Amino acid sequence: MAFLDNSGDIILDAVLTETGRRKMANGNFSITKFALGDDEIDYSLYNKNHPSGSAYYDLQILQTPIFEAFTQVNAGINYGLLSTTATDLLYLPIMKTNELTGLDVGNIASFNGMFYVVDTAGNTGTSATTAIGQGLSAQATPIKSMAGTTSTTNFVLMETGLDTGFGNIPVGTSANRSSYLVANNLVDSTFYVFYDSRFISGIVGLSDTSTFNNSETDNQFGGSVSLTEGTSTSLSLGLDNYSSYRVKGIADEIIWDSSSNTEATYSVIGGPRGSVCGVAPIVKTGLDAEYTLYGTVNSGIMSTGGPALVDYIDTTIYVQGTLSSAQIQIPVRIIRISTS
Amino acid sequence: MAITSYEILDTTSDVTTTRTLLHESIPLTGTIISGTYGVFPSEENIKNYTHGQFQSVYDYPYLSSSANHIFDLAVGFDESSNMSKSAGAGPTGSGQQAKKINMYNQFSQVLLGYTGSNNTVRMFELDLSLDESGSIAKEAVFVNLSRLISKDQIKKGSFSITVGYGTWSAPFGAKRVLTDASASDNGGTTNTFGGDYGVLFDTSSNPRGLVFYEAGIVMLSTNSFANDSGLTPQFYAHPTYGNLNIIGTFLTSSISGACDAVRHRIENIAFNNTTEINSTIYFCRVPHNKYNHSANPTYLSASTIRVKNVNTDSPIAYITTIGLYSASNDLLAVAKVSEPLRKDPTNEMTLRVRLDY
Repeated sequence: MAFLDNSGDIILDAVLTETGRRKMANGNFSITKFALGDDEIDYSLYNKNHPSGSAYYDLQILQTPIFEAFTQVNAGINYGLLSTTATDLLYLPIMKTNELTGLDVGNIASFNGMFYVVDTAGNTGTSATTAIGQGLSAQATPIKSMAGTTSTTNFVLMETGLDTGFGNIPVGTSANRSSYLVANNLVDSTFYVFYDSRFISGIVGLSDTSTFNNSETDNQFGGSVSLTEGTSTSLSLGLDNYSSYRVKGIADEIIWDSSSNTEATYSVIGGPRGSVCGVAPIVKTGLDAEYTLYGTVNSGIMSTGGPALVDYIDTTIYVQGTLSSAQIQIPVRIIRISTS
Repeated sequence: MAITSYEILDTTSDVTTTRTLLHESIPLTGTIISGTYGVFPSEENIKNYTHGQFQSVYDYPYLSSSANHIFDLAVGFDESSNMSKSAGAGPTGSGQQAKKINMYNQFSQVLLGYTGSNNTVRMFELDLSLDESGSIAKEAVFVNLSRLISKDQIKKGSFSITVGYGTWSAPFGAKRVLTDASASDNGGTTNTFGGDYGVLFDTSSNPRGLVFYEAGIVMLSTNSFANDSGLTPQFYAHPTYGNLNIIGTFLTSSISGACDAVRHRIENIAFNNTTEINSTIYFCRVPHNKYNHSANPTYLSASTIRVKNVNTDSPIAYITTIGLYSASNDLLAVAKVSEPLRKDPTNEMTLRVRLDY
């Protein structure tokens, strides 16, 4: 796609998307609402220290060339402007994966940037060479993985909050959580999870009864986590083959305390925290040809122990807070023992 | 990522529909019609068919994928024409008399329809009445303009064609301009099966042909090529029979041969086409107190809004895209602005998105 001519008057270039054209052909084309996007903008170009003054702060942003409109749905608006009416916000929450080992609640860490989920369909036994999960654990650097079923106890843990840095203002006190997040309606009680339905059939998340705090003696971790399958939704990400689930978010009550500060031990958010959520994909039953079509087969990536050859598919799970719009992409590797 | 911030469009105040007629000026010069892409009559932009019923004119050698079809040419006459009583003086079959009658009838039945209890096809009349009286064109040349250039219709009152009636070697030594200047959207036309048509007059107000606006078809009577004293004696230099007038040409030549002769005498065709655009306009009203923040990952640095120093600073966002959605959150249309629009709490804007159909 070319850039739009920005040398003269402001013009508006509008196209129907492929979905719009299909709906028009089906006779059910009806536009009822709009949203605004700014995908081309790099806000880091906003120069608050420009020597020529405030009129020049956004000069580079305003000169950003804009692409012509795409007809592909997923190339429309990927992030979007927020309808929040508050004007006094200085901070907005972000989302990060919590891979800290001190929690011991089943949260796993990524290995070489990938979160592993096992497809146990190819398991022929329970040893490291015959069961993929055992094989991952037997690596020189043991790889924690998710079970790929509804009964998984391992998951990817995510936190939202104002990550201004440990020790920086605003610190992660309960009062700051209330004033910066709760009062501005930026605490997510649910999260949308988008996944490739060719490989994943559902998402397991945290249950309502889960807790996440450091309220034990000496501010030790006092939370407890249990998992349950989320709820399927019709929300569209705009990517082909992607489906969505909604999972619970629970209050992130890890707080800063001057007497015995353990927040960095249990949390990756350096500031007031909003919510935590967990995500564990359920591997689609019967995956086989997909490994050849979309993944890698007969790979020898297991360095020590474990099965000699494995098959894997790399995919991405997208998680988004329903209120804060904080979002994160989780790279996932679905892995099994090679069948050939 | 999924969009979660939408603004509802009020169908009574935020959506409207319009109809716009777009006109383009189409000049077709005679050099393209005859002589530019080869030696007459075998130019590479002229396509003849084995069925021989019409001839196609392209703007470039037609074997090229860059070629655009401009118009078709055909000739024909009514079965009551004196020509149909002749078997044709040329070699057997070259006269294509039956096909010429068929062509005339086909144009007539589609553009004018049938009349009388016997359901006979009408004949083309060089006036706006269909009373089968006055000047009737029993022999005619048909110019079928391609939909590519005529679009939805020819603009009434804009058509002109310049034809030559000089000698074969100097066809434009004598020429006339035929126009439909008396036609307009408010009158000067008659409506028939083929849509509205107007009469093509020369500069002396003599009727010489018809133009069917919606159909994009021009009918020229043989008197379009006549000189003041009668038919041009050297209308066509037939490779076998020598100089022929237009009647002789129609009689002795195949349709494509007669079309070649006609092409040789078209100096210019010009008209304005019309494209009817139906539009829906969505007024996307962006209130002052919304859409001043962004979910763009670069919007934050360490969770702090980059465009602010303190919380009392105004938030700023920049609009580059407007997405139009269905009730079920399907993105149906996308509009892009040519440069980012600054949005902050001090301004409110209405983005007017027009979708054309």
